[in-house]
Amino acid sequence: MLNFETTVQDSKSYGDLTLSEVEPILKINLRSNKREFSTKIGKLLSIIPPIEANTSSGNEDYSILWLSPDEWLIYSNKKTPYEQQNLLEENLFNNISYTNQGSVTNVTDHWVMINLKGSKIYDLLSKSSPYDFKNFKMKKGSVAQTLLNHTDVILHNIDDNNINLFVRRSFSEDLWLWINDSARFL
Amino acid sequence: MSQELRINNNKFIDQTTRLSFKFNGEKLYGYKGDTLASALLANNIHLVGRSFKYHRPRGIMTCGSEEPNAIVQIGNDPSLTDPNVRATEIELYEGLEAFSQNCWPNVKFDIGGINNFLSPLLPAGFYYKTFMWPASFWEKYEFFIRHSAGLGKSPSKPDPDIYDHKYYHCDVLVVGGGISGIMAAKLSAENNNETLLLDDKNTLGGATIYQNNDCFQIDGTHTNYWLEKEIKKIKNIKNLTIKTRTSLAAYHGYNYLLAKENLTDHLSPDERKGKIRQRLWKIRAKKVIIASGSIERPLIFNNNDRPGIMLSSAIKKFIDFYGVKTGKEISLFTNNDSAYETVISLKKSGVNIVSIIDIRDKSSSKIVKEVEKHNIKIYWNHTIVNTEGYRRISFIEIMKLSDDGSGVIGKKIKLKTDCLGISGGWTPMVHLFTQSGGKLKFRSDDNVFLPDKNKTPSDQISIGSCNGDFDIKDIILNSNRDVKTFLGIESSPFDNLKVESSKEEKKKNIWLLPSDKPIGKTKPFLDFQNDSTAKDVKLALREGFKSIEHVKRYTTTGMGTDQGKLSNMHALGIIAETTGTNMGELGTTTFRPPYTPLTFGAIVGRNIGEFFDHIRKTAMHNWHVQNKAKFENVGQWKRAWYYPKNGETMFEAVQRESKAARESVGILDASTLGKIDIQGTDASEFLNRVYTNAWSKLAIGKCRYGLMLNEDGMVYDDGVTTRLGENHYIMTTTTGGAANVLSKLEDYLQTEWPELDVYLTTVTDHFSTISICGPNSKKILSKVIPDLDLSDQSFPHMSFKNSKINGIKCRVMRISFTGEHSYEINIQSNYAKNVWELCMDAGKDYNITPYGTETMHLLRAEKGFIITGQDTDGTMTPSDLQMDWIIGKKKFDFIGKRSLYRSDTIRDDRKQLVGLLTDDPREILEEGAQIVEKLNQKPIEMLGHVTSSYFSPNLNKSIALAVMKSGKKLKGKKFFVPMENKNINVTVTDTVFFDKENKRLNA
Amino acid sequence: MFIINCPYCGERDQTEFSSGGEAHIVRPKQPTELSDDEWAEFLFMRKNIKGIQFERWNHSHGCRKWFNVVRDTSNDKIHAVYKMGEKPPVNK
Repeated sequence: MLNFETTVQDSKSYGDLTLSEVEPILKINLRSNKREFSTKIGKLLSIIPPIEANTSSGNEDYSILWLSPDEWLIYSNKKTPYEQQNLLEENLFNNISYTNQGSVTNVTDHWVMINLKGSKIYDLLSKSSPYDFKNFKMKKGSVAQTLLNHTDVILHNIDDNNINLFVRRSFSEDLWLWINDSARFL
Repeated sequence: MSQELRINNNKFIDQTTRLSFKFNGEKLYGYKGDTLASALLANNIHLVGRSFKYHRPRGIMTCGSEEPNAIVQIGNDPSLTDPNVRATEIELYEGLEAFSQNCWPNVKFDIGGINNFLSPLLPAGFYYKTFMWPASFWEKYEFFIRHSAGLGKSPSKPDPDIYDHKYYHCDVLVVGGGISGIMAAKLSAENNNETLLLDDKNTLGGATIYQNNDCFQIDGTHTNYWLEKEIKKIKNIKNLTIKTRTSLAAYHGYNYLLAKENLTDHLSPDERKGKIRQRLWKIRAKKVIIASGSIERPLIFNNNDRPGIMLSSAIKKFIDFYGVKTGKEISLFTNNDSAYETVISLKKSGVNIVSIIDIRDKSSSKIVKEVEKHNIKIYWNHTIVNTEGYRRISFIEIMKLSDDGSGVIGKKIKLKTDCLGISGGWTPMVHLFTQSGGKLKFRSDDNVFLPDKNKTPSDQISIGSCNGDFDIKDIILNSNRDVKTFLGIESSPFDNLKVESSKEEKKKNIWLLPSDKPIGKTKPFLDFQNDSTAKDVKLALREGFKSIEHVKRYTTTGMGTDQGKLSNMHALGIIAETTGTNMGELGTTTFRPPYTPLTFGAIVGRNIGEFFDHIRKTAMHNWHVQNKAKFENVGQWKRAWYYPKNGETMFEAVQRESKAARESVGILDASTLGKIDIQGTDASEFLNRVYTNAWSKLAIGKCRYGLMLNEDGMVYDDGVTTRLGENHYIMTTTTGGAANVLSKLEDYLQTEWPELDVYLTTVTDHFSTISICGPNSKKILSKVIPDLDLSDQSFPHMSFKNSKINGIKCRVMRISFTGEHSYEINIQSNYAKNVWELCMDAGKDYNITPYGTETMHLLRAEKGFIITGQDTDGTMTPSDLQMDWIIGKKKFDFIGKRSLYRSDTIRDDRKQLVGLLTDDPREILEEGAQIVEKLNQKPIEMLGHVTSSYFSPNLNKSIALAVMKSGKKLKGKKFFVPMENKNINVTVTDTVFFDKENKRLNA
Repeated sequence: MFIINCPYCGERDQTEFSSGGEAHIVRPKQPTELSDDEWAEFLFMRKNIKGIQFERWNHSHGCRKWFNVVRDTSNDKIHAVYKMGEKPPVNK
């Protein structure tokens, strides 16, 4: 096997706030506006991609985040070894892309997933995100695509004061530094 | 400390905590709770600065942000010193050091003061008129002006303080914590609204919190006691967030407001360490209630600027709130009742009142009667015609007003006084309202501009004195009523309050009070900081200025750091009067944000230093760092630029890298190129429409170079796209163009061609790209991926293969941007650094040489390959680039096709890409240098410019690409590139310099 | 700084969006059949109105969808937001 090297490779805490990269996590981008797409995904993963904006669906193994009316992000809720990632990707690709039901694209290393936990995570985010977290905060499973320190992020509320943040790999170190810098002053 | 000026038992000042501070080097004392201004006044210091133009002595005039005179420099640390701080706003802390500004050598003896005697020579527009001519003298004038002017010193070193930003969303924002703001906040929060209350002071309650006067009562108690209780109560409301020391700076559309919170400016330097200094609040409120209050107006009369002349309301606050007597023999000069409140406060504290000069005939309101009981001399229908005292007021001279108020009559009376309170009525603070787009209306009874209810942007109201209610009864009644309506509240705890007040019965206003001297011999100051007087405004009008905006700029009235808060109204009044215009029609000058100055620190927040801009890194970044690469910024990416070895210069390193790549093998991190995954049954058709060339016939497993245009026919981006499957492609874009190309393609798919079955997904960061280039590249790859068939037959140029490296999938493309035999490995980024290391290992025996962007640019220039954005600038068509071969003429349509034969794009004298060789092969042209034909022409005709230029180690000569007018026809012709010291002779050539037959691709 | 009600994601801060100029300019189906003047009309001519303007906006930092906005350029008030391909809900 090749050496696996992510950007953050670290976990930090500030008071009750903890920040850590979670890896390896499978991430797959789905796009489709075909009618049978949803049923097919349902059959393959036992989860239906959400239709409602800013929400997610999921089971023990996977979450599906709504990104746009024809776009979703699947990610594994547990650490997933490479071979297993590969199998799922191929399975999805063969059943969706290959049958022209939409597109399946592996974006595992496109996004870095950082988990933020603690009572002050929304104070942290409000330092540089124009997003109004009021509803997001209250509803478990909420999804927000917005800006954090001028960087595109996807946020997924997985529990009270517990969110997964997705940032593009090339921006991740920069954002990680910013998050840590800001966390010092909460 | 001069204890005789301090009153004991004041609840706002903590007299148990004594603080030492320095003013102009002198050690003084004050108390916790003081501002610098109140502490200075308690030490009997009025003179704090000099005026801007005439350098006249000036004293503390107000007690708030409208202060024009008491502007000081705080501290002298070169990185922390803060200029233009209002002494009336800065809270005293242990060890504070303040200095007067705008005076030299010191505030008591100021050389610039000579301007005061020259003042007849320095009228409005003096600088404009005098220093215009001759133009060549400007630099000399500027030196003199810069030295004699100046408002404080900028810090000379970087600011070490920490500044923070915060986005905040709420249902209701209340601006101002005076009585109406407190009422509004309570009503709002108790009715289920998430509410934010801001106040710029450290204590809530505005002017009511120290209004301890029998004439003003709520429910049978003095207004201050009532309000104190209310404030205690609101502090426990769950929905209410209160931020003090937070001033609203700007009010933009859609209820977006900026506020600055001061967190440490009131602390001693030791207590500040490691803390955030200021926080910029970016507030989105569903509704906004403005309760910003009002500012007292001065009166405009001869010599109204001496130290010791203060706003009457400021004298009241200093005595009632700070417990400081501003003088021992105080006089008051007024046109309304509020000065009488000051008199009562002073009397209570045992200050001697010399006299009251009131321009009105008489007033018999409750408060005036109350004052009359104290047996104080009131000069009705009188005005001050002159004042005396250089560093502090000593005398006032008063005379009776003529019947029409335009002149004075009778005998002059001279009164001794050491402090004069002036009161010219009140100006509602409508800055925020107008910033938000609201329009004002004029109320002529008391000459105020007020928010026009019919022209108020939705979701906001103004209440209290900023809305023109000055009587406590009106304030309470109207604020309660308006907030209820605004928030849809049915009943309120304030519905049945019993309020007593003294109703003002008589008003009189004279914008410019007359003197016994002709106006030319008087100095009635309007803008105290900029030294503009009423006669300057009149002069400007005589000289033909009509617009108030022009008068403002010509006379500089209202252009000081107080931005005309204090006396812009008088300037407007005088203009209206002089020109015979109605003030309502005249309007006001524009109120622009910020309301009070913002520090640059607060504006930029943490986006300084390493956070100034994003830094994007590739997966191999740390390898480049460890191998001493120099980096180049490409967009936000850090790209390895070159790898100097053993002290090489950039030139030497690039020469070595370029040679190695052509002679053996080089390796490049090309991960920054944009990558778009394209899927869908119409993917081929889509590519046909977005690229100039044809795509339908590209076989699966093959790669093709594509050129993308804008609709105007100009080259937009380029890159290689690979067909991965029947309906599956991967497109590469330029590094800088990645985001824009994706968004442009999405735009076409969503808006112009929604019928196409195509899905785009960016995978730029998912895949890292390692490019191995050179005659030995095949050997390296065969070591890294031993089971891959690399024969030309199986894996020819412009094709791709799926493979695996140690079990991890990868895509290998045989494509070339250098003209060499080369491969690009695309692999998931988290494994890419390891693959790079494997390649380096495999290449050891072949001197594998990592090269950076500079070498890449050089190698492609040898081949005449363009870089979009370097050799193109959005005005080049494919034909201009001599790339007609890439136009699919038979295609029905593609983006920009129609523009390629517009009359302008088919001109043959357009700038076209050419190669340039210098006659001296060692001479390297400068990129951007102009190309000319005739040196003696005037003006010299510029035919084009150099876009790329390098010394080619593989050709052992300098090469360049350039764009030139009618370039295609110029091959073989000679031109000049004129430089600062010499003219370089060049010859136009073909754009391909190296391996014209492309033999090396298969070497 | 406006708040724009993205027809897909809901109300968001303007910083999440990018503007795409005047709306309802349809790319000609057969550009090659147009005269220079007709093509120039499509390519260059824009209204830039003071008052009610029909504009294209993209939720570039959100769902990346393009949509139309009816905005009064004199006071930035947004009167309507509607999806691509839909008819303007107010008179054009």
